[in-house]
Amino acid sequence: MMDVKRKLRIYSQYEINVINFYASMIWLLPMILVVTYVFEVDRLLNINQFIFWTAISNGVITLIGTGVLLLKRDAMKRKVKAGYRNEFVYLLFVCAFGLLGFVVFYDYMGFDRQFIANVLIVTAALLFYILLKLGRKFYKFDYMKKK
Amino acid sequence: MFLKKQPISDQTLNRVIKYLAIALLVLAILFMAIQFKDLWNWITAAIKSAMVPVALAYLIALIIFPLVKYLEKKGIGPRGLSLAIVFILAVGLIFASFYFITPIIISEINNFFSNDFPRIITYITVDMRDTFILGTDIYDRIMAYIEDTNIIGAWLNSLLPTFLASIGSIALPLLTTLALLPILLLYYLIDYEMINERLRSIIPSKHEKNVAELGSRLNQTVGAYLRGQLLLMLAIGAVATIVYKLIGLKYFFVFGLIVGLTNIIPYFGTIIAAVPPIVYAFISAPVGPGPLLVLLVNVVIQFIEGNIFQPIIMGHQLEMHPIVIIVSILFFGSLFGALGVVFASPIAASIRVIWNFFKELKTRKMAQADEGVANSG
Repeated sequence: MMDVKRKLRIYSQYEINVINFYASMIWLLPMILVVTYVFEVDRLLNINQFIFWTAISNGVITLIGTGVLLLKRDAMKRKVKAGYRNEFVYLLFVCAFGLLGFVVFYDYMGFDRQFIANVLIVTAALLFYILLKLGRKFYKFDYMKKK
Repeated sequence: MFLKKQPISDQTLNRVIKYLAIALLVLAILFMAIQFKDLWNWITAAIKSAMVPVALAYLIALIIFPLVKYLEKKGIGPRGLSLAIVFILAVGLIFASFYFITPIIISEINNFFSNDFPRIITYITVDMRDTFILGTDIYDRIMAYIEDTNIIGAWLNSLLPTFLASIGSIALPLLTTLALLPILLLYYLIDYEMINERLRSIIPSKHEKNVAELGSRLNQTVGAYLRGQLLLMLAIGAVATIVYKLIGLKYFFVFGLIVGLTNIIPYFGTIIAAVPPIVYAFISAPVGPGPLLVLLVNVVIQFIEGNIFQPIIMGHQLEMHPIVIIVSILFFGSLFGALGVVFASPIAASIRVIWNFFKELKTRKMAQADEGVANSG
């Protein structure tokens, strides 16, 4: 009975926004690193210093965002949708680029390049599993299900 | 025992005569069209030069209009202001990407022609002879044939005039389209609702409701395709660029850009994008990653794109059987050239939408007729 109730529960925009916001904040630094890596910003700047200042800005943005989320909590809790497809697409993109950024971060930190593929596959598998669970439970979006 | 042959009813006969008359009329029109071929070419060229900028403006409006609507919903108005914000952002984005990306592409192309191109020529003319898969004898014969017939020289000589001629026929319409497009787009987006209303008023009131419904469905399908495809192209291009750089492939930016751009062509785009980096990896070995690794990277990227990203972004709206997509690419490609290849999928999806709509309409009419009979009974 409890399981059925949990399965049927539809989450409000607030819960979805909280997940998307914190996922974005976790992956923000890696996503920025993806851009720096493509445009080879590491040739122009000291990358360690860049990572340091980006991490601090990331922390500040997280604090401001948390404040905004708390302020708008009641209004967002009143918004409920049957499914959150667009929000899930956003989360998917953030995670995909974040994952790539994580690998770039691994490379910047000077770890062995030989194991990049191993790190990428293990992290991707873990992330895929988390996304699958999140999609089913919160976003009401099951991309393993046939139409 | 013999079955008695059923006589053809008047209704069937009338129908056959009607179809025959239509077929004859179509053939007569085609015959007349062939007689005035030059006139038709002149008219179609005029229509084409007017329609291409309008069609492009309509397609871009399908991407931009939801953004304008979103801003208006958030209270940023009137239409002029929200449109100005979207326009400034779009122009800024285009200029910024050109400003940052163009120097990288130019430097990679320069690097390729000054460092790798001579090496590739040396490989083909000298090193390839020893490793040629069919043996040195066949290689020598092929090279002798190429030298005797001067096939490459003749091709290169014919290439330049063709290229110069095509610049005249392509560059001028292209420049005109590029100059007209922002103006057309601006006017179309400002009066989006009014223009649609005017178009609707042309349709006879008897069919107005059905045509409006069909138009809205087509807009939704083509819009979903364009927005999804743009997002996919950006994502796959960026992912390919990063992964190519991670595996140490030279010219990763140009190769990644090719992956992003060709992603617009289903199935064939994947192959077109994979060939240059694989060939380059093969020729430049043992420096850089091996061709097998580059192939593996392409396969994995396309697998993830096709099985995870595409179904989620595009949804089931544009889900079609691969054979249908391939056939539509070949068909529309031969009809409209490069544009036909690019827009084969949305055209096929639109045809399906139209087909389903008329099927639905027929079912609806039959249900109404049944209801009428039941009520009168």
